[in-house]
Amino acid sequence: MKAVFYTAEALPWAEDLGDTPWPLLPVANRPLLDYWLETCAEIGISHVQVILGEGAEQVEEFAGTGFRWGVEIQYSFARASEQPLDYLKTISDRWNDGLLFIGGAFFLRRRQAYDPAGFKALEACTYMSGGRTLFLFGKNDSEVKTMLDGQMESGRGLEQIHLHPYAIEGIPAYFDLNMKMVAGESSRYLTSGFSEADCSSVGYNVLTPPSAHLRPPLIIGNDCSVGTMTTIGPRAVVADHVIVDSNTRLTNCLILQDTYIGQNLEIENKIVSGNRLVSAKDGTTIEIDDSWLVARNRPEMRTEDLVRYIILWFLALGVAIVQVIPFVILYPLVRLTRIGAYEEGIFHDPRTGFVKLPVFRKLEPRKSVVYRLFRAATLDRFPWLLLALRGRLFVCGQPPMRHPDDDEVVRQLSQYYPAVFSYADYSRDSDRLVDSLWYAHIRSLFEDVKILIKSLLYRFFRAGSQ
Amino acid sequence: MVVTCSKEQGVGIIEVGHALTAATVDAFREQLASWQAVEPDVKNFVADLKQVDFMDSAGLGTLIAVLKRISEEGGDMKIACLQKKPRMVFEITRAYKVFEIYDTVDDALKKFN
Repeated sequence: MKAVFYTAEALPWAEDLGDTPWPLLPVANRPLLDYWLETCAEIGISHVQVILGEGAEQVEEFAGTGFRWGVEIQYSFARASEQPLDYLKTISDRWNDGLLFIGGAFFLRRRQAYDPAGFKALEACTYMSGGRTLFLFGKNDSEVKTMLDGQMESGRGLEQIHLHPYAIEGIPAYFDLNMKMVAGESSRYLTSGFSEADCSSVGYNVLTPPSAHLRPPLIIGNDCSVGTMTTIGPRAVVADHVIVDSNTRLTNCLILQDTYIGQNLEIENKIVSGNRLVSAKDGTTIEIDDSWLVARNRPEMRTEDLVRYIILWFLALGVAIVQVIPFVILYPLVRLTRIGAYEEGIFHDPRTGFVKLPVFRKLEPRKSVVYRLFRAATLDRFPWLLLALRGRLFVCGQPPMRHPDDDEVVRQLSQYYPAVFSYADYSRDSDRLVDSLWYAHIRSLFEDVKILIKSLLYRFFRAGSQ
Repeated sequence: MVVTCSKEQGVGIIEVGHALTAATVDAFREQLASWQAVEPDVKNFVADLKQVDFMDSAGLGTLIAVLKRISEEGGDMKIACLQKKPRMVFEITRAYKVFEIYDTVDDALKKFN
């Protein structure tokens, strides 16, 4: 028998929890994919194929060759137009000996009476949710084919062997699963260090002062630090590399890795991931740019990002130095001739929600040499360049999105880099959403430098011509 | 304008616009203080936060400082129309124990009357 895990489909709700790809989202401090591979190992599946999507590198880095689980893992990418079941049909030669398929955020919740040997007696079954096949199991090619052809009803079978099919369809379901695990179900899985007697698991290198109260059930990962007079639990799952400052109370909550929780806080019915605070009830997410409250305790910036940031910062500084004298001379003239002026506009900001930016507007539709020079030298962007030097805007990236006009565009962007220069500066047929998605996809130092140079040149030769 | 103040049934309505953060708290304090200087008789206030979509610890600290000052002068300040996202900040900082929070400005006004 072989297993196929289809992780190519993006799950928008999982993106609210940070940069972790959804197959690696922790359930009781273990990635979801870890549970799937554990099941394979227990029921004797030795060949696993993982279909990758976003976060492919991280998934592959975690699972590797599968040696840790005693399985052999192969990786492949899905075609954008291909549905998971269509893909399965194209590889029919690989499931002659049966197939276990998982096609989304799906968890096999073990009842108390579950025994992996039960899989031998399990009849072919499939589980669907929201029109998608999340689970499929067949012991030979005819069983698998019958199910792929849709000739078998959904939801049969798994309960026979004391497994509850649990579709993680959003943040409330994800949180609920974690709370169920910490409440006692965790012991039904291969969980190192979990003591069923006191319903708690505390990892390695966890600093807890005598005044801290640990109230089970709880799970705390490795390399954590707990402040004085802090209460953790009941029902708290704290991942690795978490710092909880003094006088704080964590109850019925999930703290994901690399998170700092400030002093005197009360985290209840919430998920905290870095500086993101997520309501477990309805998934409302807020990003807090205030390190007194919650923060990411590990810099998000990779070396590549740091190099890009430094190079672009100096390029922006160079442009700003060149612009400062022309701006000081030309801007008063622009105001005197009343040809243009700055107006404040409200834009989306990835950290604070909204920000006011000065936007240069031509006030009168007449020709003016001063205006022409002002635009040709890109002096209208001078205030934005200063903001970029202060770290409030990116130098190159996506155009800042207006509120409320561009609310829908922002909603569709998983990564938003409001910048001084963008494709829109030199591309006449620019589509804000398409360009922004494309930029987020291919973002690199080369691309940023290209945008900067092309924008300045285009504006010099074309934008200055009114 | 960070704050728009008005008087209704003898109670000051402090309508706060957009985010209340470290970047806006100084303007908030100044604008509120100048309105209070013009209307010294107003002791009780309702902070209408329907437009506040984000708040950080500086914003929250300022609201608490304003409440403290108003209480010392014998008045009170209630919060109305707290939105989902700032409500989460109120929850984690236990600020909901300090302020009386109402769904609407009218509900808050009724409590004063």
